[in-house]
Amino acid sequence: MSARIAVPVFPGTNSEDETLRLLRDCGGDAELVHWSQASQMAQFDAFVLSGGFAYEDRIRAGAIAAHDRMMDYVIEATGSGKLVFGICNGAQILLEAGLVPGTGPIRRPTAAFTRNGPAPHFICRHVYMKLAIEPARCAITAALPQDALVPAWAAHAEGRLAATPEHLSEIAAGGHLAFIYANANGIVDPAAIPNGSALGCAGLVNREGNVLAIMPHPERDAWNFNHLDRREGEDVLAPSGGSILFHSFIKALSS
Amino acid sequence: MRRCSSRRRRRRKLRLVNLRDEELQRIAQRLGREPSVVELHAFDAAWSEHCSYKSSRRFLRNLPAGGARVLLGPGEDAGILHLGTHDGERYAIVVAHESHNHPSQVVPFEGAATGIGGIVRDVLCMGAEVVAVADPLRFGRCDDLASHQSSVARGVVDGIGAYGNAIGVPNVAGDVYFERGFDENCLVNVVALGILNEKNVIHSYAPKGAEGWQIVLVGKATDPSGFGGASFSSLTLDARDAELNKGAVQVPDPFLKNVLMRASYRVFALLRERKVPAAFKDLGAGGVVGCSAEITAHGGYGARIELDKVNVAVEGMPPEVIAVGETQERMLWVVPPDFVPELLRVYNEEFGLPDVACNARAAVIGEVTAQQRYVLEYRGRVVMDVESEFLTGSIHDDLPYTEKIYHGAAAQELPAVDLEGIFPRVLAHRDVCSREPLYRHYDAVVRGCTVLPRGAADAGVLAPVPGSRLGVALAVAGNPRYGRIDPAYAAEQAVLEAMRRVVAVGAHPIGLTDCLNFGNPRKAEQYGAFVAAVEALARAATELDLPFVSGNVSLYNETSAGNAIPSSPIVACIGSIDDIANVVTPGFKAPGSALLWVGNRELVAGGSVLAELLGVKGTLPNIEYDAERAALAIVRDAIARGVLRACRVVADGGMLTAVARLAFDALAAGRKIGAEIDFGNPLCEAGGFVCEIAAGSGMDVTGTLQIGATIDGPELIVNGTRFDIERLHEIWSQPLAQLYP
Repeated sequence: MSARIAVPVFPGTNSEDETLRLLRDCGGDAELVHWSQASQMAQFDAFVLSGGFAYEDRIRAGAIAAHDRMMDYVIEATGSGKLVFGICNGAQILLEAGLVPGTGPIRRPTAAFTRNGPAPHFICRHVYMKLAIEPARCAITAALPQDALVPAWAAHAEGRLAATPEHLSEIAAGGHLAFIYANANGIVDPAAIPNGSALGCAGLVNREGNVLAIMPHPERDAWNFNHLDRREGEDVLAPSGGSILFHSFIKALSS
Repeated sequence: MRRCSSRRRRRRKLRLVNLRDEELQRIAQRLGREPSVVELHAFDAAWSEHCSYKSSRRFLRNLPAGGARVLLGPGEDAGILHLGTHDGERYAIVVAHESHNHPSQVVPFEGAATGIGGIVRDVLCMGAEVVAVADPLRFGRCDDLASHQSSVARGVVDGIGAYGNAIGVPNVAGDVYFERGFDENCLVNVVALGILNEKNVIHSYAPKGAEGWQIVLVGKATDPSGFGGASFSSLTLDARDAELNKGAVQVPDPFLKNVLMRASYRVFALLRERKVPAAFKDLGAGGVVGCSAEITAHGGYGARIELDKVNVAVEGMPPEVIAVGETQERMLWVVPPDFVPELLRVYNEEFGLPDVACNARAAVIGEVTAQQRYVLEYRGRVVMDVESEFLTGSIHDDLPYTEKIYHGAAAQELPAVDLEGIFPRVLAHRDVCSREPLYRHYDAVVRGCTVLPRGAADAGVLAPVPGSRLGVALAVAGNPRYGRIDPAYAAEQAVLEAMRRVVAVGAHPIGLTDCLNFGNPRKAEQYGAFVAAVEALARAATELDLPFVSGNVSLYNETSAGNAIPSSPIVACIGSIDDIANVVTPGFKAPGSALLWVGNRELVAGGSVLAELLGVKGTLPNIEYDAERAALAIVRDAIARGVLRACRVVADGGMLTAVARLAFDALAAGRKIGAEIDFGNPLCEAGGFVCEIAAGSGMDVTGTLQIGATIDGPELIVNGTRFDIERLHEIWSQPLAQLYP
């Protein structure tokens, strides 16, 4: 039996449909789980937390949702080695829940994805995330090539990684920096960072490698028709671009 | 019934109610008594220009609204156009277009956010999934970043972004102009699109056999915000009253809306599954009364509503505030009694509205009656009892207007132009420079179905049906430089430009919407401008065989000094795409392609950016529909043959600006391709398209259409003058970056 994936929906989540669609297009057995049916979460083998503004980003993006009952199940699953993948608001929730970088206690975040800099505004911009760890370091990225470049859209107001200098060193040295922003040629360039994120961080992984949290949305540049430069000869409806990360996730579940 | 004493009536009339004496007399005469306080406010809202279109309806009737593509024309919450077929199912696009001008001028963030909130509800209430929004904006001069105009311009954009981003609807089209005519009266127009299977349209009126059906109010608890909103929107803004009017602006709650939308999608699915008929309507102007009166009256029914059953945010609100207050995030269902428990369960339990916002819920507030009277009860007493039709459909104004010839034939001719000096100034002009600093605050890609996001091309394109190759294109237009000169001309050009934009991305134009932003209809000249523009819209739409399926009128856009804004007929065009593989992608593709300027290439500069920079009047380009149709045929032929590599319309900043933008688009994709052009005055902006046609296309490009060719390298060579494209891009990118950091 194939692994079952839950896409939890909190009040304020807004990217659940396309996340679900891409998981399915990549061969995943995925379903939405609504906050009023939180107890269903126990039946799933993996979790993908999608984008949005759960609980209106009150206090700080992800802060309230991290304490939602739905997250009890995700936290428990993390401890038993199940795969947990958070995108944008999902990433913020995982960070607020203390699951990434995972160096502190649960629900006591050690860092934050917080207000963008230098301008503290929502930004919608096409970006590239470069894999900054050995692919096998994280189960979800294991099927990506070395230095993989994943196209995606940054679309957030709070995506700047912030932490104390000591903790940032710990994140870097501990191999938690899963993805960094790069330009279209894969070159790390400050101009490629859309939000002033420390370390150029686009994504974090926990020590065990089963929780991945990324700020940009690969699922919004994931079908051939999403690309401004469509390659000739490929079907416009075929998954491509950012879907490589989803393929890798599905592959990790079936192996 | 609590009647108004004449003294109280006078006081209320002065402070809150904007009904005129003759209207008050007509009400009293028809009722055979003095109206109650609640009735007075109900008529004030229902008979406001905003709700009743009393001085515009007789002209709007002349807009063409039919055709093979039209499933639903104007009259309900939104219009509906056939998009195409996928897997044997017919899909349609729902479209609505509105203004939120006055609220945005007074409280920019909230005013603009509730504009998006309202338009999204209009589309949702037709049973559709909301897939896109667009925002045509007109602001005053923002050269001084500390000015009030700049804070309006920022607050509006923040409000639109905050709302649209949170509900998860991509912003894919829009435009913005900055000009002194909007210094005291900004324009915030909003467009929304929805997608639905044609079998699943839900109408805004109680269907046949609805007698005894329940009326269910859904959403936010009614509060005192937005009281008098409809009436306020139908007044001229006076700076002294701005403070007072703040209470008339509603408070947005996109978080609640996000949940309401998803809960409503769930209800749509249940209605389909169980084949239950229903009506669904947005609460906008006129609040509970406005909505419940229309949803029943338009089905030929009356209603009995118990105001005590309306969920309220604070106790002790007067009944007239509960009855006509315009609290946001509310909608009204009319459903058969046996579906009510299920409806309440979805909203109140499955989606837990009361947990999402204080006292938000779905609640039965009344029922549909056969007798065509609208009756409100409050605390066991009847506080309103009127003929439904008298309230919702009987008011119209035959105001006088002036007919005027706005522009004569020829004006001055253009002086010789120093291209090297002026072209960078054109690119940096506030009407031409990059809008990215503004629109990057909007989510253009949520839902994952964006084909061309905001700014990538002349129109936004979406693939709204998952798994299907169907696409929809959306573009807006309305040039205030033309609006200053001639309202009718501006209206025709708005139709033409919106349509061209949709064609330029490879779509087939299928319908239009309009928002007519004009001055005071009680001034014959300002009213005359409106009348002339509507006639012109009708002419253009008839010539191009396109229907207007929905629209909105915003009058009283004038300042305390009595000046009207530049005439602003703003038009949106919807295009259908059978296969998104054929969408024209942005930017030059290869050196050595032919460059064509197809369309009106008259070398006149009336209304252009160039004319403004040179301080000359110029002659307005002619509008010739035969030539326009021929140009469309050429572009569509090039697309059908697969030889159109890139395309942009010629608009603000002229043909050369269109060429430069095709080079900028290529640069953004990493292709350094320039162009060499030899053609008259390239800054004229009469219209048409700049097209990159593949080398060896077999198309006849040797004729008069060709203006040059693409070249290898980031250089633009125009009539012998050389420009560095990367440098031009820098000039074009910068100007709005300070206003929108």
